Amino acid sequence: MAIVKVHEKYKWKFLEKNYFYSIGAGMLVTLGAFFKTGILNKAVTIRYPEETRPVSNRLRGLHTLKRDEEDRERCTACFCCQWSCPADAIHIEAAEVPPERAHLHPEDKYAKVFQVDLLRCIYCGLCEEACPKGAIYLDGGIPMPADHRDKFIRNKEDMLEEKGGPLIGERI
Amino acid sequence: MVKITVDGTEVLVNEKKNLIDALKDVGVSVPHFCYHPKLEVVGMCRLCMVEIGSAKVDPATKQIVKDQTGKPIVIFNPKMQAACNTPVTEGMYVNVNSEKAKAARAGVMEFQLINHPLDCPVCDKAGECALQDYSFSVGDSGSRFREHKRNHPVEKIGTNLRIVHNRCILCYRCVRFERDIVGRDDLELQERGNETVIGYTPLNASSGPLLDTNYQGALADLCPVGALLNENTLFQSRVWWYDAKQSICHGCSELCHVTTNVKDNELYRYMPPKNPEETNYFICDAGRFSVHEFSRNRLHAYLLKGHPGKSVDILPQVAENLLNASKVAIVGGSTLSNEEVDAIQLLVNEWRNSSKDVAWEFRTETPMWENRFAEKADFLMMVDRRPNSKKLLDSKAVSIGERKGWEEYLSQVDLIIVLNEFSAPYAFDATRGIENSELYKLFEQKDLWKKTILVSTHESAATKKALASLPVKAFPEMEATYTRHDGQIRKSIPVLKPVKGLKTASEVLASLSGKAELARR
Ligand code: SF4
Ligand code: SF4
Ligand code: SF4
Ligand code: SF4
Ligand code: FES
Repeated sequence: MAIVKVHEKYKWKFLEKNYFYSIGAGMLVTLGAFFKTGILNKAVTIRYPEETRPVSNRLRGLHTLKRDEEDRERCTACFCCQWSCPADAIHIEAAEVPPERAHLHPEDKYAKVFQVDLLRCIYCGLCEEACPKGAIYLDGGIPMPADHRDKFIRNKEDMLEEKGGPLIGERI
Repeated sequence: MVKITVDGTEVLVNEKKNLIDALKDVGVSVPHFCYHPKLEVVGMCRLCMVEIGSAKVDPATKQIVKDQTGKPIVIFNPKMQAACNTPVTEGMYVNVNSEKAKAARAGVMEFQLINHPLDCPVCDKAGECALQDYSFSVGDSGSRFREHKRNHPVEKIGTNLRIVHNRCILCYRCVRFERDIVGRDDLELQERGNETVIGYTPLNASSGPLLDTNYQGALADLCPVGALLNENTLFQSRVWWYDAKQSICHGCSELCHVTTNVKDNELYRYMPPKNPEETNYFICDAGRFSVHEFSRNRLHAYLLKGHPGKSVDILPQVAENLLNASKVAIVGGSTLSNEEVDAIQLLVNEWRNSSKDVAWEFRTETPMWENRFAEKADFLMMVDRRPNSKKLLDSKAVSIGERKGWEEYLSQVDLIIVLNEFSAPYAFDATRGIENSELYKLFEQKDLWKKTILVSTHESAATKKALASLPVKAFPEMEATYTRHDGQIRKSIPVLKPVKGLKTASEVLASLSGKAELARR
């Protein structure tokens, strides 16, 4: 049986044999980028995390809890978000509003503990959809890296905004 | 049975019932708030409106007038009638789902919701609320009410009961229940018109400022909206999280049928059963709320003189004690199931055959010594708070002696085995405390702890003092049967998962017996 040759050794062309040609071509790209970013200030990258890119207002990012027009917490610990969460990421402990907090809540039930485990969360947005009070939104930007598991648990204090947010069923 | 026509369909119904109940039997549900089969009919809510009519009769011939197709001509009354207050009569025509009836219901719902705060997210009743269900199924989505809603603050009216006046629809059920069923006329309508609220008035000078009956759970349950709520389950969970199964209550020898409410392997409360017509409509608070105790203070370790140890170390020692004892007394057992009692009875017979003097007495409290086993504490709950006294009463293993003699006898025996008598929530409510029970006081007074082996589901002051304590499975962890005070056998099902390795009382005693036999050889 005749031998079929399937591979032939690559034959270098003259210019390719001369390495300065390839290096020169590479340097041209580098210098081009250097002029563009260093001199003309046209960089495509940013200094994350000091700088961040604008994101779509439909991005599902970190959870925030909203206050209403009178700075009272909207969340009333109805557990709808916890119930709808497919990843079991939300943990709420409800309690009766004590008199000293009465001005912070429109109802008599509130979330004493409200935690979101960002390592469990799949950012599906179902909690936002389920909330009958317009209290939870995933509009807090992109999660930061951290060096300990516990730092990925977002507590009520981390999520609660000073001012009222969007109305029920609305994004900013 | 009589023949009536409902929405154009002829059905046979029981003429002794009112329209709501009669139609329910044939699968037509009439929405209603204030009607309850066990309470007097008042017709307060007007939700159960239906069209009632009869066939047209020719006054001259007294014959039913028919149209061309041969069907009788039906004349419906211009005014709608409340189904709860209308008895069934032969040949009546009822329209439950006509356009007019639907419009009437939607109208009533709009009125009911005029002052309602619509705060289902914070309301504990949400999920089992008639108002919520009917608003969704027969109500309109909007309201034309533009004025201010009436606002009354939440009020605590019972030791375990609060009323959210804003949610109340004034159906009068709570008032009727207190008056007709519990027999204490202490709830009433106060103020008038738009400001009407339900209020508690102490019955007499001796009743406290708060309602303190054993039926505050039933009140909250009966309330078709979230106006009456129990405080000891307040905000703890949501209704739809509960795993609901049909079982019985262990709280007394009435053995009521119940629906269990389990979440995360914890019993939160009992609710009335799914089919109350055939079983019982109400259950008491003692049964309803004591079940939380099955997840608290449970004994999960073998204890020797109050210190936990391994079963392989402790059981042989206890078996040794049993082997060396010639006179043994068994105390209690009426919290155990029929199967357990039978198994223990076999064991006891074995022990007696091996020339041991074994005496078994299950009575531990005054009412039991007075043989008040069939006496009721109120309209429902029994005086005897142990589920299975009847079984032991009939059992041949148990000696029925005198109280004094028995208490003397306890000081003379070598070993006492106590079957579950120091375990909450059987027989003792946790608030009363084991230390205040008659049996505990007797053991203290005669200093019997040193020769006492406890078979116990719960940790308590007693398990710390006894010679040894052996953990066993509790009522909701086993499938078993119990004998009601009237001899009826009722079955309970396992709704909680026991800790791995936990045995039943008879199994623990059998293992002692086995070990003792080994030791003898
Ligand atoms: S975004 Fe989805 S996964 Fe994340 S907390 Fe909300 S419901 Fe749960
Ligand atoms: S965030 Fe919204 S859905 Fe979640 S508990 Fe609070 S009110 Fe309910
Ligand atoms: S408190 Fe409940 S049961 Fe009593 S009248 Fe009001 S709605 Fe009816
Ligand atoms: S009456 Fe007895 S069996 Fe019925 S709920 Fe009360 S304690 Fe349980
Ligand atoms: S159920 Fe008939 S009027 Fe209320």
